[in-house]
Amino acid sequence: MNILKNTMLISLKIVTLLILAVPVLSTAAEEGDVARGSKAWANNCSRCHNMRDPKEFRDDGWRPIIAHMRLRAGLSGQQARDILTFLQSSNYTAPASSGSMTKVAESSGEDGETIYNNTCIACHGADGQGALPGVPKFSERLSKPDDVLLSNITNGFQSKGSPMAMPPKGGNPNLSDADIMNVLSYIRENLGK
Amino acid sequence: MDDTESLKARIETLEKQLSEVKELLKKQVETTATKEEVKAVKKEVEVAKKEVEVTKSQQDEWKFYDSTVHLGGYAQVGYASDDPANDRFNQVQYSPIFHYQYKDLILLESEFEVEIEGDGETHLALEYLTIDWFMNDYMALSAGKFLSPIGQFRQNLHPGWINKLPSAPSGFGHDQAAPVADVGVQLRGGAPFGNNMQANYAVFVSNGPILELNEDGDEIEAIETEGFTSDDDDNKLFGGRIGFLPIPNVEIGISGAFGELGLPGDTGDRDYDVLGFDLFARWRNLDLRGEYVKQEVDGFAGSVAEEGQEWEAWYIQPSYKLLPTKLEAVARYSDFDSTHADQDQQQWALGLNYLFSANAIAKFAYEFNDGLTGTDTDEDRLFLQFAYGF
Ligand code: HEC
Ligand code: HEC
Repeated sequence: MNILKNTMLISLKIVTLLILAVPVLSTAAEEGDVARGSKAWANNCSRCHNMRDPKEFRDDGWRPIIAHMRLRAGLSGQQARDILTFLQSSNYTAPASSGSMTKVAESSGEDGETIYNNTCIACHGADGQGALPGVPKFSERLSKPDDVLLSNITNGFQSKGSPMAMPPKGGNPNLSDADIMNVLSYIRENLGK
Repeated sequence: MDDTESLKARIETLEKQLSEVKELLKKQVETTATKEEVKAVKKEVEVAKKEVEVTKSQQDEWKFYDSTVHLGGYAQVGYASDDPANDRFNQVQYSPIFHYQYKDLILLESEFEVEIEGDGETHLALEYLTIDWFMNDYMALSAGKFLSPIGQFRQNLHPGWINKLPSAPSGFGHDQAAPVADVGVQLRGGAPFGNNMQANYAVFVSNGPILELNEDGDEIEAIETEGFTSDDDDNKLFGGRIGFLPIPNVEIGISGAFGELGLPGDTGDRDYDVLGFDLFARWRNLDLRGEYVKQEVDGFAGSVAEEGQEWEAWYIQPSYKLLPTKLEAVARYSDFDSTHADQDQQQWALGLNYLFSANAIAKFAYEFNDGLTGTDTDEDRLFLQFAYGF
């Protein structure tokens, strides 16, 4: 047990040093980012329990929950802010005819692959097979016509009995119609199998 | 004069056309907005725009404010049938969680445990209560009563809606091998690094557990780790856990604690050590968990209870979501070893769960128990449980 004791003592010393380093580590907090948030969410939030649907809570409800989960999961403050931002922009389903109501985002100018890797990959996976339990393989859905898929990506979508919803624009409100068109063609061409 | 006649006629037609044009012009003037009217409309648009902005900032009110109150928690109800027979609705437990948060600086976490006991009495306990200070992005200091950060089951997996089986693994219940809670201060945090890797840590200083003697008062029977606001031996317990995620959804944890514990009447204190390992890995719909924990107290010459004791337990638990159905199958093997033969148990537990949602789950399970013949630890058991976390 001496080895254990020594390791613990060394760890305690490291921690003391860390505490002394508080002023150095306290850099200005950066705001939450949706794309990073969806990744951190997918990578952390179903480790201990089933994935809780972003739609379960309102914006104000998620705040203390994420503070609580930051402690439980051992996340950094930045990861927690990113996840909170992602949840707060994924917890609604836009009404189907919302075209004129939502902010018409300007095209990011990014190609479909970049958009996919930033916003969609966390849930759908690099191979489009679904990275989380409850996210379908694209191949099961691509028989639907483009207008249906575009509308479901834009407004969010949950089929009957499905354990998780597809958040509007994958949780990234900055995607424009052109962006969504690009990412759908990227999916059709590369991830349909 | 023909010319004058035709001229007259032309003038008349012209006059007629002119009045028609006048009429048209008048109509057009009526339908075309004047400059003033345009201005008025513009103003209205401005007002509407402002209203939209106000509504938006009112919506943002949900995101930006100083203090938040949140009520969460979980509840579980259940039925158990033992072999040899004794069946009863055996579980009614409610654990409300209260959160108060001030900015991104302070969080108060508290959980009660309210439970109906066999004799109908209601048991009330403060499961945890800490005030947490988020010092920076990598550190939070918690003070109060916290769930022990040794291993995973006691701090993260025991709530009914999270635990995939209706019971705790052998050795991971109260007063068994895994420490439950403690009173003191704790520093927690974590950070991502490299390509998709993550690490997290928790270190604590606390009052530590209390040793419990047997009826004759000459042997240490068990170790109580419920978290006490007293520390008769004056020795603080130091411990912690480090978790490492080499890739997302794979976590390896090592934890430990050391200190000294005393018994009333002893001339000094004996060593106390805890060691733990835990593992989690996911591959598609398959989750795999495993955990090992050991608590050990040394012997002490001249004490009322001279002998040392050891409590050791481990389990391994695969579970599989049968998507697209709402069913989940789970198996668990656990083994609890203590210096007291009547505490030992080996157990197989098999279960089938129905997930109404991520946080509402119905469980059906059977435990095959192997313990000291003729005692509770040897009885097989059937469970039905319904758990809801909110
Ligand atoms: C290390 C394990 C762990 C991880 C990782 C984790 N949780 Fe939890 N979560 C818990 C536990 C344990 C509870 C039950 C709370 C309790 O008993 O104190 C809980 C409770 C919750 C609740 C119920 C409300 C509440 O605050 O009690 C929500 C919602 C939730 N978690 C969401 C999340 C999200 C989102 C993430 C990702 C940031 C996450 N969890 C990551 C362990 C974890
Ligand atoms: C938070 C996780 C998540 C993110 C991020 C996400 N999706 Fe989804 N997506 C889902 C889930 C879950 C479904 C299945 C919903 C259902 O059928 O109930 C889905 C379904 C879909 C479907 C099939 C829709 C249909 O009509 O059947 C498409 C297409 C799709 N997503 C595209 C995208 C694109 C493009 C992005 C990135 C801009 C994205 N998703 C980001 C979770 C996500």
